[in-house]
Amino acid sequence: MAKILVIDDDPDMVLATKMCLENAGHKVSSARNGEEGLKQVKAERPDLIILDVMMDTATEGFQLALKLRNPRPESDLASFKDIPILMLTAIHSTTPLRFGPDQDYLPVEALIDKPFDPKALVAKVENLLKKGK
Amino acid sequence: MNRVEALLSRDMAAASRRMIRLRWVAGAALLLATAIGVRLLHLPLPEKPLYLLGALVLVYNAVLLSWGGREISPRPERLLRQTRWVVVIQVALDWTSMAVFLHLTGGITSPGIPFFLIHMLMVTILLPEVPWYIYVSTATGMLVALAVLESQGILSNHPALSVIPTSLHRDPYFVLAQVLFFVTAATATVLLTASIMKRLRERERQVTALLHSSQAVSSTLSLGDVLLRLAENAAQAVLTDRASVRLLDETGETLDLVASFGLRAEYLSKGPVELSRSGLDREVLSGGAVIVDQAANDERIQYPREVTEEGIRSILAVPVMGRTGPKGVLRVYSTQAQRFTRDDAELVVAIAGEGAVAIENAMAHQAVQKADQDRAQFVRTVTHELRSPVSGAQSLARVLLEGTSEGLTERQRDVIQRISARLDRLMDLINDLLALAAAQAPGFQPPPQPVGLLEMVRWALDQHAAAASEKRVALQPEIPGGEILVRATRDGLAQVLGNLIDNAVKYTPSGGRVRVTARAEGNAAVLQVADTGLGIPEADLPHLWEEFFRAGNVRKAGIVGTGLGLSIVKRLVESYGGRIGAQSAEGTGTVFTVTLPLASESGLS
Repeated sequence: MAKILVIDDDPDMVLATKMCLENAGHKVSSARNGEEGLKQVKAERPDLIILDVMMDTATEGFQLALKLRNPRPESDLASFKDIPILMLTAIHSTTPLRFGPDQDYLPVEALIDKPFDPKALVAKVENLLKKGK
Repeated sequence: MNRVEALLSRDMAAASRRMIRLRWVAGAALLLATAIGVRLLHLPLPEKPLYLLGALVLVYNAVLLSWGGREISPRPERLLRQTRWVVVIQVALDWTSMAVFLHLTGGITSPGIPFFLIHMLMVTILLPEVPWYIYVSTATGMLVALAVLESQGILSNHPALSVIPTSLHRDPYFVLAQVLFFVTAATATVLLTASIMKRLRERERQVTALLHSSQAVSSTLSLGDVLLRLAENAAQAVLTDRASVRLLDETGETLDLVASFGLRAEYLSKGPVELSRSGLDREVLSGGAVIVDQAANDERIQYPREVTEEGIRSILAVPVMGRTGPKGVLRVYSTQAQRFTRDDAELVVAIAGEGAVAIENAMAHQAVQKADQDRAQFVRTVTHELRSPVSGAQSLARVLLEGTSEGLTERQRDVIQRISARLDRLMDLINDLLALAAAQAPGFQPPPQPVGLLEMVRWALDQHAAAASEKRVALQPEIPGGEILVRATRDGLAQVLGNLIDNAVKYTPSGGRVRVTARAEGNAAVLQVADTGLGIPEADLPHLWEEFFRAGNVRKAGIVGTGLGLSIVKRLVESYGGRIGAQSAEGTGTVFTVTLPLASESGLS
């Protein structure tokens, strides 16, 4: 069992993710935007973060990921930079952008398309948690 | 060197060459006239000296031809200096020859004096910057000196005609009358020619300036550049170094500064120009060009103090007239009082007219670009707004279907499955609509660049391998080695290949084949996707590329689809400058052929 934080502004998506991962035996909490998400990260220190891209702003998810990955050494975020991030995004099919997590400017461990396939989501999550250990 | 000097240099070189050509005629005519005069008409002319003079003229003309007849220096500044020297030497030689000729034909009584006037006319054209009185006084001086020398007996006198009394050249009244006639005729000739030449040159300069300006402002679609070039060209056209362009704002009450040339920032920041307070601009916008001769005490000016501080003493302001009315004001400034003429005003009005057309074109271009961007942004927003709820609902439905612990009845499961299937179709439709909008909107796609076609084909085949094998359809690639670079975008090409292969697999029954071939042919790449599927009824073929069109047989067979895929493919292919065609026979299969331009001449690697 792992602690997973879902950061997404769509309550249906949060519910779906929650049901799916709780079925798989994880403990899931959620936040509705980047700011709230950052607070939760500090408060709960989750084992994995599932992150939406477009929230209050079109790139809020990217910015949060960058903030978590490249903290200033003295900041209180420095100890969270190794938490794996799974980016849940519809961006593949809403913009002509094509990218993968291997590229430097997108510092996340994995991507999964919206709407997600529950089996694929659980598999990716298990995979990331295993790697994180 | 400015354009005026370049013109002058060109004119002068041409006139110099023309003068050399004419001199051959003059020298030969002198020889011939002497021969006829002496041999046939038995005139008392000094034959040998005249032949000698004629020969001398021809000789120095030959020297001038070899030295100055050609354009010696390719650099215009040096060419002008050289040409000017060649012309001065020609004039000096000609006038010396002329003096000798007049002396040999009777001095002040010579019937050849009018030839001197003709020559002066040509010189005035050739050297327009020399003041008229220099020519008149030099020529008159030469004639008077000759008359004095001959009347005093220092030089001999050779009357050209036997009817001329041998003492006529000593008659003071005759000499005075001849000199007066010469001065009058010479002055009139030189002054008239000079003024005509000046007007001609000015006209030519204006036409050149107008052409130059119209070319400059219409050769760009960037509004900023158009305005800047307009200001610069207007100033240069009337030979000043300051200008500004102001355009009316939305209220039509204020003129906003949009471009300036040669003006200091202090002057430009003087504040808004309001029509209610600027009589000058009101007059310009309603009536046309206005010339201000004494800027310091002209009541029509809104900022007289700033104008004085900038050193401006004359202003020429003209309206910038658009198709629907005045758009703004173009001003040129000078530090001299009473600097601008009606001619200047006409020229600047013409320049402003050309400028207005260019401004309107640039504005229209800007509006189109903005509209493209707005549309692209709108489509992005709409798509996100449409996708979000479908995504949420679909994710919930899938979790329900797969989370067996919830204990759904068969019926409930069936209902949720149906909801999920409809949501899938809805999502496909949204994605296709976005792709269609992206294929149409220029603001949406990155510019085409070299993309490896074969690499993309392999990738697309990989993507469909699972679906094809599940359906027992054989995917058969026929791809050469190496790579074929085409001009496209990776995303677009992925869409094209994805759609064509997806269709082929979808519409081919189990046991069938999908063959994908790619090859370079001339300066194009040819891609074919051939299937052994349902085929397209002949009646449906012409409508294949229409949005939402689906062939009758696939609709009957209940195969789902949005009817947008091929429209997207066609638009993308055409946006890369390529073509797409389809051949089909119902029940046998379909072949789609895509031709794409290669990225470079060879396109192969």
